[in-house]
Amino acid sequence: MADETFLSDDLLRQLMSVGEVDLLVGILSHRSANSMRRAAHYVEKSLQQNFVRQRVAIISVDGGAVEDSGSDGSGDGQPGNNAYSKGLTSLRTIHRVTAGFNGVPSPGLALRTILSSSDLLRAKACAVVSPATSSTSPEWVANLLRPAFRDSFDFVAPLYSRHKFQGLLARNLLYPVTRALFGRRIRELYSDEWAFSNRLGAYCLNEDVWHEEPVRSRPEAWMGISALTSDLRCCQVYLGEKPPPPDGAGPDLVEVLRQTVGSLFWLLETHQQAWMECKGSEVVPTFGPDHAVTAEPMELNRERMFEMFQTGVKELGPILESILSPETLASIQGIATLDQQSFRFGAELWVTMLYEFAASYHHSVINRDHLVQALVPLYRGKIYSFLAEYADASAAEMEAASEDLCLEFERQKPYLTEKWKAGVEVKS
Amino acid sequence: MRVTIVQGLEQAYYNLVHMIAEFLPRLVVMVVIILVGLLAAYLLGHMLRAVLRLTKLDRVSEDAGASRVLRMADLPSMTELLSRSIFWITWLGFILIGVSVLGVAGLQEQISRLFRFLPEVFIAMLILFLGLVLANFLSRAALLASVNAGVRSPKIWSWSIRFVIWILAISMALEELGLARQTVLAAFSIVFGASMLGLAIAFGLGGQDLARRALERYLGNSAKEKYKEPQPL
Repeated sequence: MADETFLSDDLLRQLMSVGEVDLLVGILSHRSANSMRRAAHYVEKSLQQNFVRQRVAIISVDGGAVEDSGSDGSGDGQPGNNAYSKGLTSLRTIHRVTAGFNGVPSPGLALRTILSSSDLLRAKACAVVSPATSSTSPEWVANLLRPAFRDSFDFVAPLYSRHKFQGLLARNLLYPVTRALFGRRIRELYSDEWAFSNRLGAYCLNEDVWHEEPVRSRPEAWMGISALTSDLRCCQVYLGEKPPPPDGAGPDLVEVLRQTVGSLFWLLETHQQAWMECKGSEVVPTFGPDHAVTAEPMELNRERMFEMFQTGVKELGPILESILSPETLASIQGIATLDQQSFRFGAELWVTMLYEFAASYHHSVINRDHLVQALVPLYRGKIYSFLAEYADASAAEMEAASEDLCLEFERQKPYLTEKWKAGVEVKS
Repeated sequence: MRVTIVQGLEQAYYNLVHMIAEFLPRLVVMVVIILVGLLAAYLLGHMLRAVLRLTKLDRVSEDAGASRVLRMADLPSMTELLSRSIFWITWLGFILIGVSVLGVAGLQEQISRLFRFLPEVFIAMLILFLGLVLANFLSRAALLASVNAGVRSPKIWSWSIRFVIWILAISMALEELGLARQTVLAAFSIVFGASMLGLAIAFGLGGQDLARRALERYLGNSAKEKYKEPQPL
C-alpha cells in the first residue's frame, strides 16, 4: 500500500481527481524546461496513438535536477493541454499531474512518488522516462509500456544503439557483474528509461530501503535487481539510438562510478543469498535486436587517461594495499610500469580485481565511498586498454569480446564467494 | 637526669609504638585497597576487551585509519590500547585512594589535584584521537579526489590537510591541559600563518604561469585542454 502521508496534500488532491488509470508514465524533472516539454509531448503523443482505449496519466516529478520546470505540468488533475493533440486518436482524457517536494529531491524520492501514485491510481503498468535523453520518441514510451501492460512482464529494461566507445562502464563492469551474479542477461540495468508492472511496483513500495543512498541515487538498478531476485518476469526492449549528452553535459566519471558501482556493491550486500545460490546465466526475452553499435570517429584523450591510471596506481598504493590481495596489487603495479603500446589490462586480472573490490566493500576494509573512488583510476586503465584493443574492431568482434568477459566473470564467481565469506584480517 | 632520659626514651618508644599501631592498620587497608583495585582493574579491562571485540572496534579503527597510525607509533591495536588504558586508570585510581588512606599530610592535597586533572587528560586524549581519525579520513578523501581529478602532486594536498588537522588537534589538546596556553596559541598562529603566507608567496611568485593557466581554464578560455573521456553509461 502507498504511504499516503509521504505524498503532499496537493499531489493527493490531484491523484484523487484523476481516479483510476490503466497506465502511468512518470517523467523525472530536468534542468531544462524545454526538454521537459519535449518529453511530455512525446509521452502524450505516444499514449494517444498507442493506448487509445486505456485510461492513462502522466506524472512529472522533481527528481533533483530541476531549475525551471514549473510550467510543464498543468496540475490539478485536469485534462492536459490539447495544443499538440490535434488529429490524434485517443478516446480518453490524458491526465497530467505534477509533484514537487519540500525536502531534498532525489531520483529515489521521485521513483517513490511515482510508485505511490501508481499504487493509488491502480495503474497496471508504469513507465519512467527522462527528459535528459535527447532521442526519446513516442515509440520509446509505447515500446516500454507494451511488454508490461500487454505481455505481463514485471520489469522492462531498455536496450539502446550506441557508439562502440560509449557505455563502457556498462559493457565492462555493470552488465558482466550483474549477469554473472544474478544469472540474467539484462544489459541496461542502470538506465534513464524503464517500465514495470503494478506487482513489482507494489513489492518495491513496501521495501524499507528508501533512505539508503544507493536507492536514493540509482533506484532503477535496485528495482531491476529486486525483480531478478524475486523471480519476476523480466525482459528487454530495443528503443533505438541513445546519443551521448553534449560536451560537458554528462555527469562526472567519479560521480557515475560512486553511484553505479557503489549501488551495485550495495546490492550484492543486500541480495547476497540470492546471488550466492544462483548458477550460470540465462537470456531474457528481448524485443528487437539485443545489441547495436555504431562506429563514427570519436575524439578521446587516451594519453591523459593512461597517465591518470599510472598516477592513481602509484599514489593510491597504501589504499589499494588494504583493498586488493598482494598478488593482484603486484600484477596491477606491474602493468602500470608498461609503456602505452604494450599496456593491456587483461580480462582475468580485471575480474579478479573487481571481485576483490566487491569483497573488500562487503568487509568494509576502508570507508566504502573511498573504496569505490579508489576504483576510478583502475577503471581508466581498463578503458584505455579497451580503446587500444578495439580501436578498429567490428561490432561482432566487440560483442565476442564482451561475451568472453562475461564468461570470465562467471568462471571466477567462486573466487568472489570465497573472498566474500572469508573473515577480514585486522592487523593488531 | 637519668630518670628524665629514661622517661624521654619511654615517651619516644611509646610514640613509635603508637605511630606504628596507628600506621599498620592503614598500611594494611592500603594494601587491601590496592589488591582489590588490581582485581577490579583486571576484570574491567577484561570485560572491556570482550565488549570491544564483540563490537568490532578494530575494524572501525582500521577503516578510520587510526590503526595504521597506532602501528606506526608501535602501539597495540585499538581494542588492546583501550583495555590496557582502562586497566591502568582503574588501578591507578585505587592506588591513589589507598595512598590517601595513609593520611600523610600534603600527599592528600596532591592526590586530589591529580584527580581534578584527570578529566582534562581524558578530554585531551579524546581530542587527539578524534583529530587523528579526522586527519586520516580527510587526507585520504583529498588524495582520492585529487588523483581522480588528475591534479599534479596529489600527496601535497593530502599531507597539507593532515598536517593542518594535526596541528589544530595538538593545539586544542594542549589548550585543554592548560599547558603554556599563550605559547601554544602563538605557535599555532605562527605555524598556520606562515604556511598560508608561504603558499600565497609560492603561488604568487613561483606559480604565475600556473595561476594564469588555472584562471584561463576556469574562465573557459582554454577549451582545447579539456580532458575528454568516453561516456561511462
